[in-house]
Amino acid sequence: MKKRDFSTKKSLIILEKIRENLEKLNQKIEVMIELQKHGKPSNEPLADVTAPLDVMTLLSMPDHLRKTAITVCRLGRATAEEVAQQTKRARAVESGYLNQLVLMGYLKKERQGRKAYFYVDKDDNNKE
Amino acid sequence: MGKIIAIHSYKGGTGKTLFSVNLAMTFALKGKKVCLLDMDFRAPSLHAILKAKSEKYWLNDYLNGTCSIEKALIDLTKLSGGKGKLLVGLANPSTEAIRDMSAKDRKWEMRALGRLLAMRNSVLGEMGMDYLIFDTSPGLQYSSINAIVSADIVLVISTIDASDVQGTKRMLTELYDLFEKKTYMILNKVLIDYTTKKGKEELSEKLGNSHSLPIFEIVPCFCDILKAGGTRIIVKEFPQHFFSKTLNRMAEKIEHM
Repeated sequence: MKKRDFSTKKSLIILEKIRENLEKLNQKIEVMIELQKHGKPSNEPLADVTAPLDVMTLLSMPDHLRKTAITVCRLGRATAEEVAQQTKRARAVESGYLNQLVLMGYLKKERQGRKAYFYVDKDDNNKE
Repeated sequence: MGKIIAIHSYKGGTGKTLFSVNLAMTFALKGKKVCLLDMDFRAPSLHAILKAKSEKYWLNDYLNGTCSIEKALIDLTKLSGGKGKLLVGLANPSTEAIRDMSAKDRKWEMRALGRLLAMRNSVLGEMGMDYLIFDTSPGLQYSSINAIVSADIVLVISTIDASDVQGTKRMLTELYDLFEKKTYMILNKVLIDYTTKKGKEELSEKLGNSHSLPIFEIVPCFCDILKAGGTRIIVKEFPQHFFSKTLNRMAEKIEHM
C-alpha cells in the first residue's frame, strides 16, 4: 500500500515538473512572437544572398533544422504540411523551422493562393 | 520501390569497390535489377575492374547537368551472364576530369545533391531498378556525403587498424547518425580467427566497446582476393568461395530490411 502511495506521489511530482517546463516554454514562445512582431519583417531573409544548402552546411545545422532542410531537399518543393507528414512533427512546428531556414537564406518561400511553398533555390541551373 | 545503398569508409583501401562490385553482381545473379555508380571522382576505379568505358557520357556529365542519367549509364548485364540487369555509371578517369571535379564549389555540390536525390524517382521509379549502389570515396568528401544523404542504407567498411576503427566510430556518431541513416559496419581483411574464444576477445579488444558497434559482417583477409588485384568478380567466378557466401548472406539481409 505504502509502495503505491509513493509511486503516485512520484508521478505527481513528475507531472508538476512537466507543467512548470511547459509554462516556461510558453513564456519563451510569447517573447519570441513579440520580438518577431517588432523586429525585422518575418518574410525577409537576414542575408541578401541565398546561402547554398550543401551537405557541409546541413552537417553544421542544429538537428531539428537539419531534419526539415533535408526533407525539403528530398521533396524539391513542399508546404509545411507536406514536410510535417514526412518528419512526423506538427505542421506548426515545421512551419516555424521552414521560415527560420528562409530567414537564414537557405530556402525560398513562394505563395500560391493560400498555400506557401518552400524550396531550395538552385538558380542559374544551366550555368555549370 | 527499390533501395539505395551507399558503400563508404573512413580510410582508403578498405575494400569499398570490392564490396560494391560483388554486392551488385550478387543481386544481379539473383535476377535483380541493379544500378552501380562510381562516386569516387578523385580516384575512379569501376572502369578498371569492369573493363568498361563510357562511349560519350560519364557520371560526371549527369552531375554537371549536361545529360540525363539514362545516357550516363552503360548496360553490363553480359557480365552476369544475362541474369538480372546490371547498369553502371562510370566516373571519368581522365586527369582533366578529376581536376575539374575537385574544383567544384558549394553551389555545384548543392545541385549535385539534388541530382542524386532525383535518382530515387528516375532510377528506382521510372527505370524500375531494385537497387542503386553508390561506391563512394573515403572520408568526409562532398561526393561521399552527397551519396550518404541520398541513400537508405549505409554500409561502412573498416579494417581493424586502430586509426580506421577510431575514424569509423567517429563517423558513426558525427556523420551517419546526424543524417539518421541505417548504418551497418563491415569489418574487412580481419587476420584474427574470430571463431575461437581467444580470437573473439582479441578482436573485441582491438575494436574497443565493440558491443555498441552495428557490425553486419566480419570478413577475413583472403590472399587469393588480394592476388586477383581487382581484376576478377569473385561472386561470379568463385561462387563457392567463403567471400561469395558472405556476400550472398549480406544480400539476403539487405533484401529483408
